[in-house]
Amino acid sequence: MSAQPERERPEAAEGPMLIAEDIHRHFEGMHAVDGVSLEVPRGKITGLIGPNGAGKSTFMAVVAGTLPASNGRILFEGEDITRLPTYRRARRGLARTFQLPSEFARLTVLENLLVAAPHHRGDSLFGALMGRRYWVKDEERLVDEARGLLKRFGMSAKESDYAGLMSGGQKRLIEIMRALMLHPRCLLLDEPMSGVHPRVIEQIQFYLQSLRADGLTILMVEHELHLVEQLCDSVFVMAQGKLIGSGTMASLRRQREIVDAYLVG
Amino acid sequence: MNTYYAANLLIYAGVDIIAVLALNLQFGVSGIVNFSFIVFQAAGAYAAAVLSMPPHTAADYSFQVYVGGYQLPFPIPWIGGALAGALLAIPVGLVVLRKLRSDYQAIALLVTSIIANTVINNARPFLNGAAGLALVPQPLENQVDTGTDNYLYLYIGLTAVCVGLVWFLAARIVNSPYGRTLRAMREHELAATALGKNPVALKMTMFIVGGAIAGLSGAILVGFLTVWAPSTWLYPETIILFAALIVGGRGNNLGAILGALLVPVGFEEVTRQLIRMNIGPPNLIPALEWVAIGLFILGFLWFRPEGVRPEPHRIFEGSPEAELVEHVRTA
Repeated sequence: MSAQPERERPEAAEGPMLIAEDIHRHFEGMHAVDGVSLEVPRGKITGLIGPNGAGKSTFMAVVAGTLPASNGRILFEGEDITRLPTYRRARRGLARTFQLPSEFARLTVLENLLVAAPHHRGDSLFGALMGRRYWVKDEERLVDEARGLLKRFGMSAKESDYAGLMSGGQKRLIEIMRALMLHPRCLLLDEPMSGVHPRVIEQIQFYLQSLRADGLTILMVEHELHLVEQLCDSVFVMAQGKLIGSGTMASLRRQREIVDAYLVG
Repeated sequence: MNTYYAANLLIYAGVDIIAVLALNLQFGVSGIVNFSFIVFQAAGAYAAAVLSMPPHTAADYSFQVYVGGYQLPFPIPWIGGALAGALLAIPVGLVVLRKLRSDYQAIALLVTSIIANTVINNARPFLNGAAGLALVPQPLENQVDTGTDNYLYLYIGLTAVCVGLVWFLAARIVNSPYGRTLRAMREHELAATALGKNPVALKMTMFIVGGAIAGLSGAILVGFLTVWAPSTWLYPETIILFAALIVGGRGNNLGAILGALLVPVGFEEVTRQLIRMNIGPPNLIPALEWVAIGLFILGFLWFRPEGVRPEPHRIFEGSPEAELVEHVRTA
């Protein structure tokens, strides 16, 4: 029973990275997500905003597979992934971070990153029983890769510290680095700046922009509108489970019903 | 200390070490709160017994009823015991580990333990009910006289080989990237799932591996005791093993061994000595043993939750800390 990720799917050159078609999610009659359809373009940062209780996090959970959709369809790189469990979506390159810190507290920072690494010969019962010589080359390669990420995110000095002892901002960075170890093609970020020190927010902003420059597709839920404005190429607005608008932040500010529903309030 | 007493102590220690190492894989490393652990040990013991015993219609055995009775030679009963533990883990794991949250898993497994004991207690034609099985043949009894000290040494040796084998397997799992994935699942299952890990497959694997090791421990025990009955595997026996792991150190194989020596073996011995001193009514000391185990668990969870030997802090070669240590060492 290996935990090895599936091989990456051939990349479709054109079209949106992610398409959500008429997504519904009901909780015993309560419509948390009510017929949301949207397309996430490749290599861009797309924002998802809305007031508290709008259904943004529920929508993200449905896209990531943590919650099943009551209705609707999700296409990832043209393939229908609606019925795939979370771990299989992740193996196809759809990574996510969580609204609340979700570090592996009693693993070191470096170990947190290594857990996410795909294609490790030692990450199966068979590989483990074969012994260190069977998997040590993979381990060395992935340690180098993880250290590269730690250096890029300015956390090299923390690699041997327990992740549970990091600050809120550092935990956010660990989550992002961990997701990047998966070699994702699309990253779902659920409020990556929440509870983070302003200086670290600037850091995260810088890293997200550099990831976009590398061609990574990002769908991000965020409450801080000035950050959304600075980071996101396009933005979707949700309220009461429905999609009520989309466009750039500048264009959204000109739409009366969106301003009334969210931007002013 | 006579030879039998020493052998008894060592074999029990070996069996407990094997059991706590298995529980460490399940609970300490993977976070599965297997409150039915003792059932898998019992499955191994019963399987080894019926594989080595003659049919219940045989002379000397007709006072009991049981299924099987294959008179298979050693080591088949021990291998069969391990297989029985592993096979039992499949249906139990499929029912309990797929859909339930971890706290409900613990409750379901505790209930499973109680149900299993009640069923075996009352279904006499299956494994002789509450009276249990007796006259279980000992390993290699046709080759070596079981009444001699040499046989006791042989049994200690066989147990030690099994301890070594289980230690080797457990160490390979715990210290591998696979072990790291198991620890990640223990820490935050949802996050591990979002990184492409299949928690049901991981838990099922550890449930089956742990079940097999528990089954082996039961097979070793029944081969030594030659009797096995439902009263020997009541659900509180699992609590003792949990106490051993909590005291020794969860997630650490050395801690598991230390805990096995301190709690099941240590407590048993202290109790035995206190009973000899005739303090209070006859059942006072055994009852106080349970109180002491409970307090021991609470005390450790409160004051030293990581146990005597905590999970190792894994520092990789080339890290700033490792380089500092190397620098100090060479200086």
